[in-house]
Amino acid sequence: MGNNVTKDVQFKRYLKLELLPTPWCPGCGNGIVLKTICQAFYEINFPLQGTVVISGIGCAGRSAGFFNLDSVHTTHGRAVPVAEGIKYANEKLNVVVVSGDGDLMGIGGNHLLHAIRRNTNITVICFANEIYGMTGGQVSPITPKGVKTLTTPEGNPDNPIDIQHLFVGNKSFFARTSAYHLSHMKKCIIAALQFNGFSFVEARTMCIVNYGRRLGYKNSNAMLNHYKETYKINDNAEELAPNEIGILKGNFQADEQLYQ
Amino acid sequence: MSKQLLQGNQAIALAAEVAGMAFFSGYPITPASEIINDLVNRKQIKVLQMEDEISSIATVIGASLAGLKAMTATSGPGFSLMQENIGLAHMMEVPLVIVNVQRVGPSTGMPTLPAQGDIIQCIHGSHGDYFPIVFYPNSVAELYTHTITAFNAAEESLSPVILLSDAFISHLYETITPQSDFPIKNRERPPLGSGSRHFTGLSHDNSLPKTSDADNYRKLITRLREKQLITAQQYNYYEYRECRNETDTLLISYGALSRIAYYFKNEFSLFRPILMFPILGDLKRIALQYKKIIVMEMNTGQYAGEIERILHREVTLLPVLGGRISLEEIKNALSGVVTK
Ligand SMILES: Cc1ncc(C[n+]2csc(CCOP(=O)(O)OP(=O)(O)O)c2C)c(N)n1
Ligand code: SF4
Repeated sequence: MGNNVTKDVQFKRYLKLELLPTPWCPGCGNGIVLKTICQAFYEINFPLQGTVVISGIGCAGRSAGFFNLDSVHTTHGRAVPVAEGIKYANEKLNVVVVSGDGDLMGIGGNHLLHAIRRNTNITVICFANEIYGMTGGQVSPITPKGVKTLTTPEGNPDNPIDIQHLFVGNKSFFARTSAYHLSHMKKCIIAALQFNGFSFVEARTMCIVNYGRRLGYKNSNAMLNHYKETYKINDNAEELAPNEIGILKGNFQADEQLYQ
Repeated sequence: MSKQLLQGNQAIALAAEVAGMAFFSGYPITPASEIINDLVNRKQIKVLQMEDEISSIATVIGASLAGLKAMTATSGPGFSLMQENIGLAHMMEVPLVIVNVQRVGPSTGMPTLPAQGDIIQCIHGSHGDYFPIVFYPNSVAELYTHTITAFNAAEESLSPVILLSDAFISHLYETITPQSDFPIKNRERPPLGSGSRHFTGLSHDNSLPKTSDADNYRKLITRLREKQLITAQQYNYYEYRECRNETDTLLISYGALSRIAYYFKNEFSLFRPILMFPILGDLKRIALQYKKIIVMEMNTGQYAGEIERILHREVTLLPVLGGRISLEEIKNALSGVVTK
């Protein structure tokens, strides 16, 4: 217990506390993911010097500026290739991308496809809120079918992308987790950071203001509850069902003990 | 180094290595592909073929921030795709070099033929106000020299510098003696991974985003602009040939087309910018001595418009379009505009 309290304080060294509060709405899930990333950094003792965080544009993209280390806030969709340039220029750096689902899978989708192919040794943490939060709540590549958004007033006619399929049969790492399952999220992030190759964590998180509210959730706790009720953990899965979170099989490569 | 027969694009590749470039990223496109084809054989340089030109310049930005001198090379269609990240590199003050070997546009146009249609795009292609440094050599030897100039200017200004070429000079073979004793400007800013800086395309003050502070934005833009002007003064390259016969006409041309202008050296004085942008005072001073100014270029008057704006006077356009550079045609066109 005492140990946990220390940990709880220690992860803060990865944040520029003087810049808080963040620009996010009250109840936004982004803070949960940001905090969990820092906790993961702390647990595997990522050096402040020698680690670089890169983001694209969007609510999630703003998180880069809060890390207490060198960070780059790029253009919409281009965080992954900027990060790859950094990694190929200096293999010793730990290179971590933080961004939204629209940024990474929509406008940046082609880069993602090719980063997986190249298996560039970087980690991408996707704040997957199923919506374009920053621009007011338009449909995203992972908005479920039928869901009403500003730009799908009759309900989203399309099936969402299930990004895990890009990873199947590849050497790269994929995990899905949720903002309700905090220790699972931390485990996934640590496994991703320790993975030697391209790693992607799809962290389902809440946009209450421009998404959840319109879907009838009273507050972000109700959205967390939804994650709790929906998602079953299935680590080491061949493939994750829509109601499953977990790490895809073959992706346990690093020190397994650390994240058991 | 001894004499070598080199293609323009090979000269760019060789010079980039001499300038200390350690990272190149690009996507194949005529007439620039020989640059990446050549660079992959230079073992000291990390070369990536990316999925498109957007990721090409994105990786170059990343590599530069990580401490390496970096470059990309393309032609019009790819240059168009790079525009958003060019603005990012200006805003984040990232030194890098972009080679644009121009071909006939718009769109896919005439891929193998030379043009000079991307002149305005160099300075206004990205959104917002920014103040790029742009060079445009006119021979294989100059492509070599000014590739190094471009790297130095990039380091000096901490900005993306554009090296223009065209299908003609980039595919030209000439014998040159590549020098390696140029002054080389090296990186002073510490690489990524050594601090807690935040590089952002948002308006900012140092590492802090300032998204609604007009005073801060004005200060930022003024500083960025002045920095570019100060750097440009140090690389203020141009060629001015006063006519030995009496003339009241100054013929301005650049790049491939300026090579044909030499045929008219006995009729007109000739001015050839190598530093295309920013346009500095020398042109103004020289232009004052002439009643008539003709701007001959392979577009419908892009540089001419800039010159008019800077000189506050009308100039005569002489567009040479469609990739055909014919002495006969140009002679006729010149006699047409001169007698007018
Ligand atoms: C090229 C370009 N197109 C559009 C935008 C506007 N824009 C800003 S953020 C954003 C969507 C962000 O959605 P997502 O990546 O899911 O992040 P979130 O805001 O939900 O965290 C868009 C379309 C932009 N900044 N740049
Ligand atoms: S709009 Fe949504 S994603 Fe953006 S800060 Fe608000 S709650 Fe978070």
